[in-house]
Amino acid sequence: MESLAFLMQGFGTALDPMNLAFAAIGVLLGTAVGVLPGIGPALTVALLLPITFKLDPGGSLIMFAGIYYGGMYGGSTTAILLNTPGESASVVTALEGNQMARRGRGGPALATAAIGSFVATLIATMGLAFFAPLLVKVAIQFGPWDYFGLMLIAFVTVSATFGSSPLRGLTSLAIGLWLGLIGIDQLTGQARLAFGVPNLLDGVEVTTLAVGLFAIGEALHVASRHLFNDEKPIAIKGSIWMSRQDWRRSWKPWLRGTAIGFPIGALPAGGAEIPTFLSYTTERKLAEKPEEFGQGAIEGVAGPEAANNASAAGTLVPLLTLGLPTSATAAVMLAGFQQYNLQPGPLLFVQHPDLVWGLVASLFIANVMLLVLNLPLVGLWVRLLKIPLPWLYAGILVFACMGTIAANPSVVELMMLVAFGVLGFIMRRYDYPIAPVVVGLILGPMADSALRRSLQMSLGDPMVLLQHPGSATMIGIAVFALLAPFVFKGLARFRQDED
Amino acid sequence: MTTPTARGLHRPTLVIAVALFALAFITWRDASAMQIRATYGMGADAASYFVALFLALMGAGHLVAAFRWGDDPGPTDWKAVGWVALGLGSLIAALWFGAGFIIGSTLLFVFTARAFGRRAWLADLALGLILATGIFLLFNKLLTLSLPMGPVERLF
Amino acid sequence: MTFFRSRLAAAWLIAAGAASFAPAAMAQDLELTIMAPAGAGGGWDSAARALQEVMMSTGNARSVQVVNVPGAGGTVGLAQFVQGAAGSPNQLLVGGITMVGAIITNKAPYDLTAVTPLARLTGDPLVVVVPASSPYQTMSDLMEGIKGDVERTIWAGGSAGGADHMLSALITQAAGADPAKVNYVAYSGGGEALAAMLGGQVTAGISGYGEWQGQIESGDLRALAISYPEAIEGIEAQPLKAQGIDIELVNWRGIFAGPGISDEDKATLEQAIAKTVESPEWQDLLKARGWSDYYAPSDEFTAFIASESERVTSILTSIGLAE
Repeated sequence: MESLAFLMQGFGTALDPMNLAFAAIGVLLGTAVGVLPGIGPALTVALLLPITFKLDPGGSLIMFAGIYYGGMYGGSTTAILLNTPGESASVVTALEGNQMARRGRGGPALATAAIGSFVATLIATMGLAFFAPLLVKVAIQFGPWDYFGLMLIAFVTVSATFGSSPLRGLTSLAIGLWLGLIGIDQLTGQARLAFGVPNLLDGVEVTTLAVGLFAIGEALHVASRHLFNDEKPIAIKGSIWMSRQDWRRSWKPWLRGTAIGFPIGALPAGGAEIPTFLSYTTERKLAEKPEEFGQGAIEGVAGPEAANNASAAGTLVPLLTLGLPTSATAAVMLAGFQQYNLQPGPLLFVQHPDLVWGLVASLFIANVMLLVLNLPLVGLWVRLLKIPLPWLYAGILVFACMGTIAANPSVVELMMLVAFGVLGFIMRRYDYPIAPVVVGLILGPMADSALRRSLQMSLGDPMVLLQHPGSATMIGIAVFALLAPFVFKGLARFRQDED
Repeated sequence: MTTPTARGLHRPTLVIAVALFALAFITWRDASAMQIRATYGMGADAASYFVALFLALMGAGHLVAAFRWGDDPGPTDWKAVGWVALGLGSLIAALWFGAGFIIGSTLLFVFTARAFGRRAWLADLALGLILATGIFLLFNKLLTLSLPMGPVERLF
Repeated sequence: MTFFRSRLAAAWLIAAGAASFAPAAMAQDLELTIMAPAGAGGGWDSAARALQEVMMSTGNARSVQVVNVPGAGGTVGLAQFVQGAAGSPNQLLVGGITMVGAIITNKAPYDLTAVTPLARLTGDPLVVVVPASSPYQTMSDLMEGIKGDVERTIWAGGSAGGADHMLSALITQAAGADPAKVNYVAYSGGGEALAAMLGGQVTAGISGYGEWQGQIESGDLRALAISYPEAIEGIEAQPLKAQGIDIELVNWRGIFAGPGISDEDKATLEQAIAKTVESPEWQDLLKARGWSDYYAPSDEFTAFIASESERVTSILTSIGLAE
């Protein structure tokens, strides 16, 4: 229990009033920048990292933890209130969250997101503290075939976001997959669908697509209808806090989201998006009132938000134990650690236990600080919706474009953003679901590389996918999940015929 | 939001079907033109062929659907859409011709506000300018992230 | 006479002072923009930001801003830089060997002859490793294995056509097998490749030494060789050359100015960079980041780029990524 002693020592440092103040500043800055549409956590941390250099190592580490969690959390606020997720991991949150906000329940949606994030981060950080070295041993055994199995499961579950028409849902997914083809193929270095435009060689940036489809598309759509159904700023109905029923419906999704998010986040190529899709599907399947999904079901916010934040803590597992950054945010954080002469890797836990446990303690403190600061802010955020529509959407567009320019100062990128905005407008106009496009863009290239890496390692033998127990099991689950609804429907019909 | 209309040929669905076929064709052409082959396993073209087939299937689905059902998207205020488009176009033009972030964003703000029915040009202009300048100062000065420079930005 | 002479002497002094101090004074006034042709967090980005930090802290520039222009192995940034920084005395670009490869494989409109090389800054050794459980104990074991079955010798490393890929091809060739047959599995970076190595899914791996240092020191990976021409202090693995394999490949990074800048501006920039590189702050930073000093002044760097371009082209042709 030596680690506990170090953890206590870490808390001793982190609870110093000065350090608490740094944590608060970090959380505030991270939330403030992260809340802007188009600016995801990676850019938030990259932008704010230099500020932490000016402090002593202890203080800067704590502020850094605050910025990280603040940036992660900030993205969900605009997703819920304005249907403009700032990053791909909040796309799923927007599905139900924005429906809740439209029905005047923005307050509870934000609250369940905040508390869910807190719970998930708390549990996941404990998991990080005590199981990281063990977890990573399992995670590295994950071969490309296993990733392919995981992708298949994710693909099947995407259908939960399809809405009413399978044809339109699949079409959205196909468009996403098509966008995913664009750019240099990772395995061969071959360009696909780049048409000789150098800016396309790196592919479509997920953030650009998400912000274009959601923020710009939404603005165009609302503008086109505004004259006819004169949408008034949404009134807040009922309490802005969670009711008893909200609590009752939220706590299980929080825990399930955490259970899904943390292990997948710990996988070297797991990411934060897949757990949010999986969590959404799970909640939809398990909900008492599945018909509420698509109309603002609180479970659909609680689960994915918990999964998103748990996977963020999970990302720290390979980062700290292997020195392996598995997301853009983690890559920026790695640079941050190096500033403190901290080289993440297998020896980190042995060589610098004080710093590791100091960081873990900082993460705990930052997490509490996030809740303390953001719950009171819910009331303030909800008031965002009281801004008159012309200014609100003008502001959204300015921030969305700014975020894209800030990440990549090129006119071509901005044109792509606008083109995706037009696509989002057309899709909304003809009732195509938006989320599958983003899903296709994220999963398509991952599944492609996983499958082709497997085949390259087996010299072209497809049996490799079934020879490994992990991948065989996951492919089995995916096939079952795909066929089960048809089979059950058929059985039901069969029974009906018998009656 | 959309209401089903009477049966008959539904034009938008037909247009989408044609667009999907076109996309499938482009993808197939691109895949067949690839030169670098994978030494082992599948090449980069396999995924392209798969997506091309998928798109073509969806196109076929839309073709069938075009004769069966259709949705009427309801009345549309094209003028408002035009104003937003003008705003976005202004920002792109501002960056293209080096007028800078502040001018571009201010125009975007003003035109979008107009799209939603505001006619107080001067007030919106002032508000947009304050917002854009605030963003610029925050990012360029405090966070040392360079947003595109123009004549206005050089004053700071 | 004495009056005149002292006046003359004073004039000489002033002139000499101006001559020796003017460039330094000018260097201190430099307001630079460094373009990192990659996104935040990557190698070029961290090199640009490191240079920014040290140039400002040593007073060799008054202000330095870093602009990220990601895309296509740096070629998007390069094209933008060639067009935007022509003749500019205060714009710099970071680049390296990956860019040389990307220019060839992407058939980029501009190559590095379009810009003005100022200095080569760092050069990191690549390391050849096998998992701890691998039967291969030495480099010659691995070479033997390649010769025996080139197909089933699976390599893991960074992006296709990058420095890691090139080294795997060079080693395969040196082992007497066809470099076009090399079974190289490209990952998005040293990190993901590391997971494949530790999971035992591949035979051998290549990455920058610094990226895998932790696993090498902990014994999870066995380093067989480094690609640096000579042994490096603190790295146990010996150079390929010292092991009788005539291969060297250094992952170098350098700094460039725009096309067609005046000799005067070029001299000022060169001097500012030279002074920065000589400073103890820079040396400390190199040590902290695990980078190796590979400084070369402009002339030497220019000749170096020409020879590297030629070499990279021939390697990529042998793999089948370039004609």
